[in-house]
Amino acid sequence: MKNLRLKSARAAMDMSQQQLADAVGVSRQTINAIEKGDYNPTIKLCTAICRTLGKTLDELFWE
Amino acid sequence: MGKEEGMAVGLAAGLTVGLLVVMLLFKKHILDFTFDERQERARGVAFKYGFFALMFAIILYGMLDMVLGRWCDAMAGATLCLCVGITVFAITCILKDAYLSLKESPRYVMTLFAVLSVVNIVLGSIHILDGDMVENGILTFRCTNLVVGLMTTVVLAVYIVNFLLSRRGQEEE
Repeated sequence: MKNLRLKSARAAMDMSQQQLADAVGVSRQTINAIEKGDYNPTIKLCTAICRTLGKTLDELFWE
Repeated sequence: MGKEEGMAVGLAAGLTVGLLVVMLLFKKHILDFTFDERQERARGVAFKYGFFALMFAIILYGMLDMVLGRWCDAMAGATLCLCVGITVFAITCILKDAYLSLKESPRYVMTLFAVLSVVNIVLGSIHILDGDMVENGILTFRCTNLVVGLMTTVVLAVYIVNFLLSRRGQEEE
């Protein structure tokens, strides 16, 4: 299932996938895979993304 | 010292120097193979596929040797089997976007593979022209350069196609 909330939160901060990837220390393809729903990130990466985007885990990853 | 011993000493010396150079590059952080969590997982899967491919190649090599008789020397056989395993591993990594570490650039890797391909294919062609690749109907270890050259060419081709497709996908986002 696509993670559109992550994509919109990233877009709201005017960040590209590459910029978010650099900020959390992963590859651009990993951010792309998370947004497309092809990869379930660990809690460690989820919290890093939430911290970077200023969101909570509930807002971005809880269904 | 005979020819065989000389070759063994040369090989051991080359491997030792190569190992020291690689260790130095890692220590100076010139080589940095850091992968993210998705890449680590994808590479684990790729290792599994590469391992099974290697097992399959070894069994096939053994069976061919049994059925057809000796058709290549042990070093050539080992190289062929290794190349099958490595090719499967590399292609799986590439298709899963897990071949490059976080600090490597696609341009660097493509250039490296292009150089490796050309050098090995040229050396392999020289061995073919010299006529020492096949001796008494048996493929000798001198086929190593050609086999490695072909392997790096295949990996490079898959990498370029995947890179172009991925870039097109990135532009469409």
